[in-house]
Amino acid sequence: MAQRRHGVRRVAVGLTATALIGAALTTGTASATTPATTPPAGSAAAAPSGDPIKIGVTADLTGPFTIYGTSMERSAELAVDEINASGGVLGRPLQLVVEDTQTDVAVTTDKARKLVEQDKVGMVLGPIGSDAADALYKTVAQDAKTILMYPETYEGGKCDPMFFSTGAVPAQQIRPMLPVLQKEFGPKVLLFGADYVWPRRSFEIAKPIIKEIGGELVGEVYLPLIADDFTELVQKVRDTKPNYIYTLYPAAWGAALKALDDAGVLKGVGVGTTFLGDPGLAGLSTAAVGTYTALPFFTVAKGDGVAAFLDAFHQKFGANEIPSGGESLGAYNAIHLYAQAVAKAGSTDPAAVSAAMVGQTYTSPTGAVTMEPSHHLTQTIQLVKVGPDMKHEFVQAFENQASEETCTS
Amino acid sequence: MARSTRVRIAELVLLAALIVAPLVVHDAFTIDRFGRYLLYAVFAISVDLIWGVGGVLTFGHAAFFGAGGYLAAIFMERGGWFLPLPLWPAIALAVACVAMFAVLLSGLAFRGPFPMRGVELAVITLAVAYLLEQYARAGGRLTGGQNGILIGPRLTVFGINVHRGRNFYLLAAATLIVCYVVARWFVSSRAGLVVRGIRDNEPRVDLLGYHVPNMKIAVFVLSATLAALAGALFYVHEGIITPGAVGVAASTQVLLWVALGGRATLIGPIVGTIVLQHLTATLSGRLLDTWILVIGALLIVVVMLFPAGVLGWLDRGPSR
Repeated sequence: MAQRRHGVRRVAVGLTATALIGAALTTGTASATTPATTPPAGSAAAAPSGDPIKIGVTADLTGPFTIYGTSMERSAELAVDEINASGGVLGRPLQLVVEDTQTDVAVTTDKARKLVEQDKVGMVLGPIGSDAADALYKTVAQDAKTILMYPETYEGGKCDPMFFSTGAVPAQQIRPMLPVLQKEFGPKVLLFGADYVWPRRSFEIAKPIIKEIGGELVGEVYLPLIADDFTELVQKVRDTKPNYIYTLYPAAWGAALKALDDAGVLKGVGVGTTFLGDPGLAGLSTAAVGTYTALPFFTVAKGDGVAAFLDAFHQKFGANEIPSGGESLGAYNAIHLYAQAVAKAGSTDPAAVSAAMVGQTYTSPTGAVTMEPSHHLTQTIQLVKVGPDMKHEFVQAFENQASEETCTS
Repeated sequence: MARSTRVRIAELVLLAALIVAPLVVHDAFTIDRFGRYLLYAVFAISVDLIWGVGGVLTFGHAAFFGAGGYLAAIFMERGGWFLPLPLWPAIALAVACVAMFAVLLSGLAFRGPFPMRGVELAVITLAVAYLLEQYARAGGRLTGGQNGILIGPRLTVFGINVHRGRNFYLLAAATLIVCYVVARWFVSSRAGLVVRGIRDNEPRVDLLGYHVPNMKIAVFVLSATLAALAGALFYVHEGIITPGAVGVAASTQVLLWVALGGRATLIGPIVGTIVLQHLTATLSGRLLDTWILVIGALLIVVVMLFPAGVLGWLDRGPSR
């Protein structure tokens, strides 16, 4: 191929440029990696010495979950700072090793393996998405027999000696929230979710609870993760006339809400969610006013340590920076629980730490938490409501909500 | 130095590097990570066959790479009828199914009532990847939806565990070398010469009496088959496959590896893949927020200086 026509080359350059743009998009959304080791922070007080105890963080620092991944990582930093300032664990400082997962499952797996095999971390914290969590459940907990702490709200059901959840699971959110909705709006409920495992399992858990409190399930609608057409939902609401809708439609709730509002079917109909954190309110229309949400954390959450937690967050990361929600508190709690378990076990041996983890309690910013034998957390759930200024207003805190998970590992 | 000599030297250097690498690198994790790059490199070779050699741009080749993985996963993890299958029968059947699909798709595209060319085919490949990704997301129990399929069985060869570390690297390197030799053989064969002729001047080849559509189908199917094999091995090693595997984003990323390394060189895409993957994995751990910009700028500079790719420049000499 010694001779090539110029036209071909020009096309080649054009195509390459196209590919570049494509890849830039790809890199922006699906791939990217960040950081390295955060030096052991603020070892001021008792100045822990000796080899650091390493904790790996698989954080979605780029891609669609950036806002949650960044906040999760920062909250972990806060907890590490606190623990190191008070002498570390077993006289050793904690050290975070952070890797960016690019909100991509294959990258998350690769980075988790790097943390386990190369950095030899004692525990992996993360990730955000439930698909990536499935991957790490296998890679970190089952295959590498390394402790995995998952700080995000999820559908529940995971069960492995090395797996611990510090996020909320469906029963502990649904059980306190539905009676409030029923009291305000009435007994008839419509379930609306995206068609994947989190909404489906949550609704299965919701059904007996609805029955128990004397509610009436009038319908159930599942649409694709990001649907373009909400006719089916609108029709269902029109036909079944629910008093309130319990929804788990996290990726495109703004579009669904707009469709319902435009169709005029939301008048007098309440809405409850278990996913709408503070960042989720951005971009929603005022039709969201009055929407209830139950999660472990909001900036308006009540609890003896909330103000101090927020202050520390502002101080370290900037006055306008806020923790994104459940995953932030989940990460903060996970670090504290891990440190406490290592101290109790007297070593970082995964089996010993896993055993020490179960049954321990700890006072989190929003109240006491207990690690259940199910490896899920009994914790305080906060119920909030969107106010006229499109910000969450505090409604009620429900202390000691059990996960109702039945895993025995 | 004649270009064929330069390419031979590049081939030998790369081959030597592939073989020496596990002797020099002792860290099991790093060598495992390089094994992943080598399977990605097979994917890049498959794209080079269709795009570089065949002159047909594809925006959806991850459909074949990912389908190899998805089908292998389904054959091993789902029950009923003749399932689940053991590891290698599952992989073989997955690759065969993808090859059959490629025959149907390319037959329809090149010999159907409306034979397609250039941009039309690029759009078709884009649509296939988009459809498969949507189906993988919505496929209920079969594809596992958004959360994908966890793959339990490990890679073994004659009872030897080749799932992780050095052994996995050797499996990946062997796969790469075999696929490279097959691709090189095809390109230098009579059929390969005709395919290159079609790329450069289709009417002339047609007038010479060659059956142009069949030649295009041949290169398309070979390309899809190599991609499916690499994809099946890649995702069994990952232990999980999710909808992004068959998507458009993964399909455009591979174009970059090929463009950077040098289209139509076969060896260039291998180099492009390894370099870009490794830069991404390591830079991202060190440069925090700025690494994307650094890699982007680097790519723009390289593509402007070497429009034919780094190895293409070596192959053909300076372009201006």
